[in-house]
Amino acid sequence: MNHKGGWALIKSSWLSWMQYRSFFFILAFGWMIPPLIYMLVWSGAAGAGSLGGLTSQEFIAYYLLLILVNQLTYSQTNWTVGDVIRMGSINHWLLRPMPPLYNPLASEVAGKVVTMVFVLPISSVLALVLHPELHTSWDRVGLALLALAFAWLLRFFWGYWLALLAFWTTRADALLALQDSLVFLLAGVVAPVWMLPAGLKAAANGLPFRFMVGFPIEVLMGQVSGQALFIGFGVQTLWAAAAVIISTIVWWLGLRRYAAIGG
Amino acid sequence: MVYLRLIAQFIRASIMEETSYRVNFWINLLHSLLNLTTGVLGVYILFAQIERVNGWGFPAALAVLGVYLTIQALRNLFIGPSLDILAGMDGEVWSGNLDFTLVRPVNIQFLASFRRWHLFALFDLILGLGVLVFAVVRMHEALTLPNIGLFLLTLVAATGILYAILLAFSALVFWSPGVMFTWIFDGVFQLGRYPLGLYPGWVRLALTWIIPVGVITTIPAQALSGDLSMNQLALILLMSVVLVFCASLFFKAALRRYASASS
Repeated sequence: MNHKGGWALIKSSWLSWMQYRSFFFILAFGWMIPPLIYMLVWSGAAGAGSLGGLTSQEFIAYYLLLILVNQLTYSQTNWTVGDVIRMGSINHWLLRPMPPLYNPLASEVAGKVVTMVFVLPISSVLALVLHPELHTSWDRVGLALLALAFAWLLRFFWGYWLALLAFWTTRADALLALQDSLVFLLAGVVAPVWMLPAGLKAAANGLPFRFMVGFPIEVLMGQVSGQALFIGFGVQTLWAAAAVIISTIVWWLGLRRYAAIGG
Repeated sequence: MVYLRLIAQFIRASIMEETSYRVNFWINLLHSLLNLTTGVLGVYILFAQIERVNGWGFPAALAVLGVYLTIQALRNLFIGPSLDILAGMDGEVWSGNLDFTLVRPVNIQFLASFRRWHLFALFDLILGLGVLVFAVVRMHEALTLPNIGLFLLTLVAATGILYAILLAFSALVFWSPGVMFTWIFDGVFQLGRYPLGLYPGWVRLALTWIIPVGVITTIPAQALSGDLSMNQLALILLMSVVLVFCASLFFKAALRRYASASS
């Protein structure tokens, strides 16, 4: 395994993407907007009292964290994997003497670095202006970081196997749009998951989407504890493992079918 | 009416172009339905937790969403697709293809604003109007003829405001050709999903006077349900005329910066 080459690829992608930073800043701005809207709406609705167990300052904390978690786990890479397959430039991936997975990982890391340069200062300023209120403890911070790592793993590989369907159909991107909508509804963006109506809440707890964004924040804020915490981590691990296994299978099946057009 | 005949020709050409990609129909349908579902559930989930926010109830907020969807459909029908040709890495300003547009014996602003149509947006238009009518009926307001007239008047004015903003944002490409400036506005425009009254005071002011997204969606909804004051009517009409005028001047001035592309 040529990990040194992989690291060089990661570094070169992020340095070259910094040249186009205004484009990524605009993208990152767009991704920040839905959480910001719901931050304003929910904290306004809570007013001086509380709603669903959160005060308006706690809603602000929840959604500021959501902006960060969403940005860290969102893989914009997977939107380009389909093009790479269709246009045949995946040939370059296959020819390089290192695992092909390094290529999407490189743009994943590059995208994270470039968008964080924009998102971190903005959310710090928002935090200073809006006075969020967060009650947590060190062990919850540790657990939340663990949940965040799994959330990234799950969201990346879940999007990756959907994108790899481009080996069979030219329209796999539609599934990524569907995933984004489900994340919006079921992962704690439109409202914290525990505040959803019963039917949606049941769907959120079973499907993988809550574990891509909302779950780490719920852990940090102490909204899941005891047995629920145990079950939550179990479900998250299962979905993450499933995502990795499915993408490996789809990758091998797709590669056998791939005819290397163009390039 | 040369201009109307030209528009008819542009529409015909766009139909021919769009119908050659048939699979896109299903993808567009999926996107429309996702947009509708996430929009309606976004309002529903909020009002499942709390009955009224700052005097706004579920049907009134749903009416605003209906106007938002309607205006978004009008944007995607022709304003957006036409103006998008200018911007970005493969846009006319960057590539220098604007030369071929400039030499045509028609007003350039007219060409830039009406030349490409995305007729599937008519379906979104119907969905938006459907949400709006459903909401007004739920409010137990009768749909009277004067209210419908006022609604159509304010809707035209609102579309004018949206057009003026998008035109001004598009004109910025003459300074920086690679940047998708309209995407920035699209992000802010999403705030129009909810009534202005749901936001804190400073956001309300910004959305009325700096980027009048709130005016665009909230005022037509109030017109249809008969809650429109004379001041609001005057505000939206005046704003529309002034902004369209200023944006046209700005576009003309920006155009003078165009120096083609060197080959």
